[in-house]
Amino acid sequence: MDAAALLGQLVVGLSRAMILFIVSAGLTLVLGVLRVPNVFHGSLYMLGAFVAWTVAEAAGFHPAAFWLALAAGPVATALVGLAVERVLLSRLYHREHLMLILFTFGVMLILNDLVKLLWGPTYRSLVPPPSLQGAVTVLGVALPKFNLVLLAAGPLVAWGLWLFAHRTRAGKVARAAATDRDMVAVLGTDVSRVFGMAFALGCLLAGLGGALVAPTTSITLGMDHSLLIDSFLIVIVGGLGNLWGALVGSLLFGVTQSVGLLVWPQFAVAFPYAVTAAVLLIRPTGLLRSAW
Amino acid sequence: MAARRWWVLLAVGALAAASVAGAGAAPAVRFDRNIKVGVVDTYSGPPAVFGNDALNGFRLALQEINRDGIHGARIEFVTRDERFSPEIGLSMARELVLQERVDLLVGTINSATALAISAFAREQRVPFIVWISKSEDITGARGHRYVFSTTENTAMAGKALAEAVARRGFTRFWLAAEDYEYGHRVTNSFWRFMKRAKPEATLVGQTWWRTGEPDLVPYLTQILQARPQAVFFGTGGAGMANVLRTMQVIGFAQRVPSAIHTAIDVTVLRPLGAAAPEGVFGTTDYLYYYPDTPANRKFVQDFQAAYGSPPGFPAFHGYITAYFIAEAYRKARSLDRDRFVEALEGLRIQTPVGEVEMRACDHQAVLPMIFGVTRRDPGFPHLVAGDPVVLPGRDVMPTCDDVRRAREQAR
Repeated sequence: MDAAALLGQLVVGLSRAMILFIVSAGLTLVLGVLRVPNVFHGSLYMLGAFVAWTVAEAAGFHPAAFWLALAAGPVATALVGLAVERVLLSRLYHREHLMLILFTFGVMLILNDLVKLLWGPTYRSLVPPPSLQGAVTVLGVALPKFNLVLLAAGPLVAWGLWLFAHRTRAGKVARAAATDRDMVAVLGTDVSRVFGMAFALGCLLAGLGGALVAPTTSITLGMDHSLLIDSFLIVIVGGLGNLWGALVGSLLFGVTQSVGLLVWPQFAVAFPYAVTAAVLLIRPTGLLRSAW
Repeated sequence: MAARRWWVLLAVGALAAASVAGAGAAPAVRFDRNIKVGVVDTYSGPPAVFGNDALNGFRLALQEINRDGIHGARIEFVTRDERFSPEIGLSMARELVLQERVDLLVGTINSATALAISAFAREQRVPFIVWISKSEDITGARGHRYVFSTTENTAMAGKALAEAVARRGFTRFWLAAEDYEYGHRVTNSFWRFMKRAKPEATLVGQTWWRTGEPDLVPYLTQILQARPQAVFFGTGGAGMANVLRTMQVIGFAQRVPSAIHTAIDVTVLRPLGAAAPEGVFGTTDYLYYYPDTPANRKFVQDFQAAYGSPPGFPAFHGYITAYFIAEAYRKARSLDRDRFVEALEGLRIQTPVGEVEMRACDHQAVLPMIFGVTRRDPGFPHLVAGDPVVLPGRDVMPTCDDVRRAREQAR
């Protein structure tokens, strides 16, 4: 194993980690602010990819429409999330966690069947515009140009979320509500509206992850399965409800997998899970402070 | 008086003899009911693309067959969705046999389901024809009197691809595959036949990933860094589409020669369009554009007219399955299950790609394999198989002795 190979795998692993971060940031945001484990988060990720594909197809796969397609995915999932939250979920907050899990699980089944109904079982491809096709050589490794977009998108999303949480009133209220929602309500703030907004933002991130991953993979039913499990693990490893925890967890997940391939390719699949188990043995509440 | 009686007897005898002689030419047998086929396959989730394609081919053939009927009967069918689960598939097969009282079972895309139903079919003495799943165990180690296969299997695919690749002089290989039944089977088979064709071949390393792995870039870049001379990929369906797409983006096939069973298949290349890479070695047992014979052209035209797109390999399997069933009942002249099995053994039928035999010793259809290299062609909206070579079925199939040994070992 030479240094160039190691650096190359690190870069590749980082771009993978960015998708994981964007999706799990949405999951952890909803967990932190609303205390809802959103099981249909993965379905929204899939929906985001399908919506992006449909918009690109409607535009005849014109290169200029590509970015519009990538934007349409998250917008659509945010709207779906907002509708579900306003109409149904907002009536259930006082219920116990099991009820909330059951509810979001039910929505997951409905959304997955809806995707099957609307798009059918065939898999789709979303081709990036010519300027982003092909690869560039980074540290001796052929890295798809589109993965550079992912590498940039991750930090941008992290920065945006930080601005939202620390520089906007809504973000501050959301953080406060995460700590003590009754106190925030007593102070005369409409907590319900903040919850709706936080939920929609979480769903937007799921759709954004799906739209961003669409040009790199087969858009197909079932693409949400492994990602949903990985995202939950990342959120748990990072500390429930902690945004920076999601970032740390994603980096750990993405990088152990790609570097693990250099060490022992045959069993690389197991590396991220082994690390997850080790972390939880040492720090059962996650690496960073949990909001729960 | 006595003489007249003799005349009557003679006349009756002559009439009877005439009717018996006539039976040789015209069917005296009339089935008193229709033939009922129970189809278990995946009709939801990503593999449904293949399940639906096979069913379309089957339905097209039945329209042709039922126009004339078989000894006065028609072939009817009912379908059940196994949702890619062996447990569900098995309970569906049970229901079809015990409640629906089907004459035979057909299916499925999932090798694990096919093996589960096969064990049930053996116990119930119900014929079962496998039409998409490719595990070589189905008609190999775990084959029996009641199971048949109208699809090529991993032994045939592995041998065809290994021999074609071995001729190109590579010796240092990497195996990369998806971690599921078909991935393991086809990879093991490829490597077994590669070692047989080229004993000096060495394995540089191997990689396995989970089904549904969204990002294969880390896996493929690592293989490039290990610098093998050639790579075999054991994957299919949407998983293979991911491999091909990633290969195209990072220019993998230009740097390391790569071989994948079904990489030249239309069901894989069509959805990928321009995202598919050129220069990948692949095998399949059916292409709608090759060989360009009148029989194949007619099948493709009829299929296109009925369903709006050309047939993939599952449609071809579904189509020949219907004809095997029809011809076997015609020959058996009975709805009895054992008579049907005996009639199907060694049966030869005409298909869009020429005559195909159902080999008597292992119940495996003798299908040719096509080897080719993916290539762009301005005449097609997808990549096609360049320089196709047809390998006759008997050359790529395990011998009857191989099968007998495998079955004895399994026991």
